[in-house]
Amino acid sequence: MKMYKIKKNTLVMVAGLSILLVVLINSCVESRKVAEKTGAQLWAENCQRCHNTPFANSFSHEQWITIGMHMQTRAQLTDKERDKIISFLNQ
Amino acid sequence: MTPVKTITRLMIFTLVSSVTTSIVNAQLVTAADSALIERVAALEKQVADIKPAESHFMVVGLATFGYVSSTSKYKPPSGPHQIIKTNSFPDADRYEFSPMLLWRHGTKWLLEFEPSYTGGNLEVNWADLSYYAAPGLIIRGGYFVLPFGIYNRRLAAGWINKLAPDPEGIDLPGTDFGIEVSGGLPLGNMKWSYAVSLTNGLQLLPDGELQTAGVTDNNTKKTVCGRLGLLPFSNSSLEIGISGLYGGTGDADSRFSKANSTMYGVDLNYVKTFTPILINVKGQYNRSTTDNQQYIKPTDSTLYTFDNKSSSAFAQISIRPVSAESNLVKNLELAFRYVNFKTPENSNWGQKYNEEDIGLDYWLSWRSVLKFTYAWTHSTSTANVSAGGIPGTTDTNNLYLQFSIQL
Repeated sequence: MKMYKIKKNTLVMVAGLSILLVVLINSCVESRKVAEKTGAQLWAENCQRCHNTPFANSFSHEQWITIGMHMQTRAQLTDKERDKIISFLNQ
Repeated sequence: MTPVKTITRLMIFTLVSSVTTSIVNAQLVTAADSALIERVAALEKQVADIKPAESHFMVVGLATFGYVSSTSKYKPPSGPHQIIKTNSFPDADRYEFSPMLLWRHGTKWLLEFEPSYTGGNLEVNWADLSYYAAPGLIIRGGYFVLPFGIYNRRLAAGWINKLAPDPEGIDLPGTDFGIEVSGGLPLGNMKWSYAVSLTNGLQLLPDGELQTAGVTDNNTKKTVCGRLGLLPFSNSSLEIGISGLYGGTGDADSRFSKANSTMYGVDLNYVKTFTPILINVKGQYNRSTTDNQQYIKPTDSTLYTFDNKSSSAFAQISIRPVSAESNLVKNLELAFRYVNFKTPENSNWGQKYNEEDIGLDYWLSWRSVLKFTYAWTHSTSTANVSAGGIPGTTDTNNLYLQFSIQL
């Protein structure tokens, strides 16, 4: 059986990048202006970046949660944006 | 009749009437209770069907159907030109039926699977599992669209694309098997996003072209691909992205075993309403390079080489009068796109290609559209004729009628 050895430099690089990513993620904060945005504002601003803004009655409460998770992987929304937009669509 | 008898008779009549009324009323109430109980039971069942649960499964997807009329004029370096006219209902680019299955466990796990019947073949667009590990961190594994540029991942669906055809040459690096980490994060008034994947990678073909290697890797090297996006304005109207890819692409134990390929790309997305018009600008530039290699001429099996560099780009603008009073007018959208695609000179597939598309769309709803697109394409061969390339120029005019809906 062929054995694959991972180089020490590769391990150090992966560890370093992982630490950098964790530090970056934890140091990212939103301004008060952005934090105060409503779900309606975020819905209007973010959905139309790719497609027309959807109507709330297009899907049910549970479906919007699933679609919100799907859209987060596509449009790379922040978690707060996703939650606020789903809450707005489920009102 | 004595008064006593009369009173007795009246009492008996009153008693009988009361008993009869009570019996009738009792029966009515019982019937009403029964109807109420049935209604409550039905409502309870409905609530039970939609009440929040840990697992949720749903099917969405899209369907695209179209017609294309095409006139193509091929001019060889010498001799008479050839004109070919075709028209067709669904063909590879204009027909697609893709139901998408979304299955989540709570709000931590999401499975996405999209089979697609397109171009007469049954394929899979993606089949992946995402784990929402922490705010701003999604870990994904499986078969997914690589994080390179914006077109393939966000804009390719028929009900999103403003024009009927896809821009030529933007399809790579496409979809691949592997793992990915991604996320979107705030940055003060701005926002940024990242996505990095490790996958099997592309495969270098004998003629120097690249294609997705597939589920069985063609070598032991993996490919790193990633995109960094920045949304500098607080209203998210502008997004700028840079992408990169690097990996070994040659088949193991072949003459290309040490071949590596590099890709980089930049993309831009700007969407803003200037009342009464919504302006939508999108663009992407991709460039790919493969190390110098010796390729085999299919004509006489001798070796030859060429600078294996390709580039592809598109720039698109669309306007929609969203604040117009007339429903007919506000559902119209006018779109224009320019496409440029260059493949390596002196390869047997070298060409310089450009395309202009103009389209008028009518939005039947937020997720269904009727498109009329006219496209002019011009291709000049830069191919190595001795390696089997075809010289000359080709001009094509295409008229597309297309309907697309998200389901």
